Amino acid sequence: MAEQEPRFFNRELSWLEFNQRVLEEARNPDIPILERIRFLAITASNLDEFFMVRVGGLQTIVGSHSQKLDPAGMTPAEQLQAIRERTQQLTRDQYACYVEELEPRFPTAGLQRLRPTELDAAQSQVMQQVFQDEIVSLLAPLAVPTPRDFPLLINRTLSMCARLERPAEDDPDEIETRYAIIPFGRVPLRFVTLPSEGAYTFVLLEEVVQHFAGYFFPEETVCECVTFRITRNADMAIREDLASDLLSEMEDLLVARRESDCVRLELADDASDELTGFLQECLEISSDEVYRVPGPLDLTPFFQLADAGSGEENRYESWPPKPSPLVDPQESLFDTIARQDVLLYHPYESFDPVVRFVNEAADDPDVLAIKQTLYRTSRNSPIVAALARAAEKGKHVTAIVELKARFDEERNIEWARALEHAGVQVFYGIKGLKTHAKICIVIRREPQGIQRYVHFGTGNYNDATARIYSDASLLTCDEQLGADAVSFFNSVTGFSLPQPLARIAPAPLTLRETIEEMIEAEIEFTRQKQAGEITAKVNSLVCPRMIELLYRASQAGVKVRLNIRGICCLRPGVKGLSENIEVISVVDRFLEHARVMHFRHGGDDRVLISSADWMPRNLDRRVELLVPVDDAASKKKLITTLESYFRDTIKGRRLQPDGRYVKFDLGPRAKAISSQQWLYDQTCQAVEQADRSRQTTLEAIRAPGSE
Amino acid sequence: MSTGTQDTSLFAADSDVGQLPPRQVAVIDIGTSAIRLAIGEIRNDGSVRTLDALTQPVALGNDTFTTGRLSRATIENAVRVLRSYREVLDSYGIDDQDIRCIATSSVREAQNRLAFRDRIYIATGFQVEPLDRAEVSRVTFLGVQPTLQADPELDLARAVVVEVGGGSTEVLVVENGQVAFSHTYNLGSLRLRQTLESLRTPLHKEREIMLAQIDRFLDPALQHIDTGDSVAVKLIALGADFRFVARQLAEELEDDGGESLVGVPLERFRVFTEEVLTLSTDELVQRFRISYPDAETLGAALLTMLRFADRLGVTRIRVSPVNLRDGLMQEMASQGVWSDNFRQQVMNSAIELSRKYGCDEDHAKHVARLSGLLFEALQSQHRLDARHRTTLELASLLHEAGLFVGISSYHKHSQYLILNSELFGLSRHELTLVALVARYHRRASPKPTHSLFSSLDREERVIVSKLASILRVAIALDRSYSQRIREFTCSIEKGRLIVEIPGVEDLSLEQIMLRQTGQMFEETFGMSVLLRRSRL
Repeated sequence: MAEQEPRFFNRELSWLEFNQRVLEEARNPDIPILERIRFLAITASNLDEFFMVRVGGLQTIVGSHSQKLDPAGMTPAEQLQAIRERTQQLTRDQYACYVEELEPRFPTAGLQRLRPTELDAAQSQVMQQVFQDEIVSLLAPLAVPTPRDFPLLINRTLSMCARLERPAEDDPDEIETRYAIIPFGRVPLRFVTLPSEGAYTFVLLEEVVQHFAGYFFPEETVCECVTFRITRNADMAIREDLASDLLSEMEDLLVARRESDCVRLELADDASDELTGFLQECLEISSDEVYRVPGPLDLTPFFQLADAGSGEENRYESWPPKPSPLVDPQESLFDTIARQDVLLYHPYESFDPVVRFVNEAADDPDVLAIKQTLYRTSRNSPIVAALARAAEKGKHVTAIVELKARFDEERNIEWARALEHAGVQVFYGIKGLKTHAKICIVIRREPQGIQRYVHFGTGNYNDATARIYSDASLLTCDEQLGADAVSFFNSVTGFSLPQPLARIAPAPLTLRETIEEMIEAEIEFTRQKQAGEITAKVNSLVCPRMIELLYRASQAGVKVRLNIRGICCLRPGVKGLSENIEVISVVDRFLEHARVMHFRHGGDDRVLISSADWMPRNLDRRVELLVPVDDAASKKKLITTLESYFRDTIKGRRLQPDGRYVKFDLGPRAKAISSQQWLYDQTCQAVEQADRSRQTTLEAIRAPGSE
Repeated sequence: MSTGTQDTSLFAADSDVGQLPPRQVAVIDIGTSAIRLAIGEIRNDGSVRTLDALTQPVALGNDTFTTGRLSRATIENAVRVLRSYREVLDSYGIDDQDIRCIATSSVREAQNRLAFRDRIYIATGFQVEPLDRAEVSRVTFLGVQPTLQADPELDLARAVVVEVGGGSTEVLVVENGQVAFSHTYNLGSLRLRQTLESLRTPLHKEREIMLAQIDRFLDPALQHIDTGDSVAVKLIALGADFRFVARQLAEELEDDGGESLVGVPLERFRVFTEEVLTLSTDELVQRFRISYPDAETLGAALLTMLRFADRLGVTRIRVSPVNLRDGLMQEMASQGVWSDNFRQQVMNSAIELSRKYGCDEDHAKHVARLSGLLFEALQSQHRLDARHRTTLELASLLHEAGLFVGISSYHKHSQYLILNSELFGLSRHELTLVALVARYHRRASPKPTHSLFSSLDREERVIVSKLASILRVAIALDRSYSQRIREFTCSIEKGRLIVEIPGVEDLSLEQIMLRQTGQMFEETFGMSVLLRRSRL
């Protein structure tokens, strides 16, 4: 029967499996309670984006009656059906987790959720006051006499639907029923904080509104007042070539997104069939698209509770990023890089050197120019500030700003404008291609000539996410990498047609071919009776062409080990197809985000870092980079790092031929290892060792001024 | 001369005096289908390190080779590209003095080239310098010379360097490190395409017509290359199209495409060319990810080279990694100072020309030698540089070329014969100076009514007068045509230049000649010339 099994997993279902793995962390009793709340909030936020982008997109395709099969052999309608079933289950699991496992443990974490009816007098008074002073003025109930009058609700915000009854005016025996909607819009609070002793005590906004619903409808009986939430299709096809000004088009898109179709209705499970039917009619959705939940809607804001809770034992032990032993804070970073390549593995190692790199460049009188890509960056990013400062100091600063980083657009536009203001030359990327490559080039005039310093990264220039995402950074002044980097930048800014590059491989030009050639090379080595080995770490593996090539490698006898955190459409371990392929996924406190590859290459060990996942989107429709790491110490560090994931018996899960992810079978003698823990311990040890050796070399302190 | 830059003070603290920081220079090459920018760094040893190389397509040749003019839209496109290059140059802090902006045939041949140059200057500040054919030869040679020297096999062979551009084809024959022949032909890949289009050639006829066109230029060129002796001929291909072929075939050639020449077996080259010729422009773009302008002319360029190779009977084509910009960069590295070797190449080319016009070679060479000696002796008087000495020597070699036409007013014939010849490595402008110096070697001194002379600016008029005055003295010294005066010493006494000549009994012949023509020396330098036998 194996022949009839599809050669690929469906990507949507694979993604949902990933979200399930995150949810498993939320349900894992070994993890501190506040961190579990955080994981649950992540699954909610992930699922929102999934509905907007993936489900929305599929729904559009189904609407066009396409019968095109995906690589797993499913029609769009079949996929949608499977997604509906899977997400209903996932939602049930989320609420089982919240209602049965997390909320009952709130008190142990210094949290207390009360219902409006449970408050003492003082608390009631506060609740009433908050409602009067802060909430009422923001709410405007709308009557909905017919479904056509249903208001346009903001995507992913909460609303309440009230079913009201009163005697008819002409015939007091007749009861009139009508509906009203109270959109919460962008009411800024979700948790109404109440006075209490000890625990952080709150009542949910929707329950406060529900409690006072009668206030809005003094003449009527409120039969029920139910919280609901809609999610809309966000997949707007933007046609760049139709608009001359990309920026203004993006602003239009932000408006347009609010008006697109509803893909999900979430509703409290105590809503009557009558009210549910009314909402379905208004929103024109089927019962498949209705998700009835036995707990609070929209769990994403529960993130805040993870911060509000208390107790050291309720959080992960703090793992502050360690300073890299390669970087001496007393020395100019340019001198450090001139001496040796610096490879950093975040967040175990601090991201500070990367921020310092841009900061030093901004203030160094010998720096002529800075060229940098910015995809997603943090609010008040120190890197953005440094770029602006550099431009103000007369340096030539070029920034490629990617506006289409899904939901960050509003923030992007704002700081892109600020950069332009400071005199930075801002480019908005290549038409039709997102610039996803992470690169920063500093051009510096030195006594021996122009020197180029380059930072290549696998993660965004975002000092906030760099504390929780695992990513690799390479700082180098290698001549060829520098020349390639500059040439690459010229082509992205449209200053030049793409030129042949010596070492780095950009997508959509040569990145895919380069990886394919490396895989082919391993197949060839195996044919020549040498060991062929591929070890790779990416976030997603979707590209069918790449998967087929990996199957071929497996069949040729190449040992393929993949560490794929998210979607994996490859079926590993199928006899005759992929028995030499092993796929693991690590979901732990840090988000696995680095893309690192190691090809044995006949013992020559080719190690590369990349910004690209192995998805058709990244390989063919985005500007991405693949960068070789040559320096022996850096190579060794990356290989050791890659290997550690495959030994993870605590957080590593192995993908089965049937698509399930199963934890490692702990043998009787095996020692339990968490790769993230191991990597952090290793990093600490390296720092300690460097400190010790530094202490043994005595350094005299000179009088100031003496040379 | 040192390779100084403006900001020497910045590094004054460095103890190592004389180790100045490398200089960054840039070359902008306005070609037939693209405008390219190369930024390089000249190290202290004179070697060049490329920092940046940019290309943007601009279809200048399309305009010039069809309508003879550059269209408004094309000029503005060039302005846009050059403005973006200005930004890149600014980011390296490179000033105008370290930028050369040159243009080749598509601008040189455009009727509105002046309007183009003015527009570029106004919009971008770049001074576009149309490169003469002979200058292209010189620059090509400078670029390819290091690769030739590095390869002993090539150094000894007869290397035929062929660069097929969009508008012209450059042929350079180098033997024993010396340029034996150079010429630029109006044969280019873009021109070929346009001929086909203007003739509305049916597809199956294209190849035939292109070959006929190529042969028209190839036949005369081959006469200079294939002299019938047994010296091995090596074909060296220059140009982006061939670098592309080398890259495509690099893997099977097991060549990393580094700094040196890549040898492509002719048969492999032929197969590839045939393949390219069967593909449409769109298919080429798809298949090889090259730009449209490149794809349009690729087939014609390859066919031209293939024809060259077949006619020369070689079995390999060696593709050189250098381009025009490399040569220009090398030239900037030498700061315009010609190497002895290079100077010799130019002189050889003049001797070749003087033979063509039946000059008395011994006399010509001797006058050149005497001119050189006088130039050296009078350094404090004329204060000209080495390049002018070459001008003087070239004029000396060619001053009697006009005798080929007729005796009367032969100095004027010399002028126009030189003006209408090509001397290897010399720009049009430099050639004009040579022609004028040769012209004023006898008879009238320069006058405002002489149009060519008065077209020069004052500084150059003075240079011509100085050089021609010296030439006259040198000619007088070999009035006997016997090369009997071989050495002399010069001194200045009481406002007179005393030339003391050892070992010669009677100087009356020379004295008479000097009285006839020496007036100009006095007018120019404000002193008369006296020949005197030196007492031993």
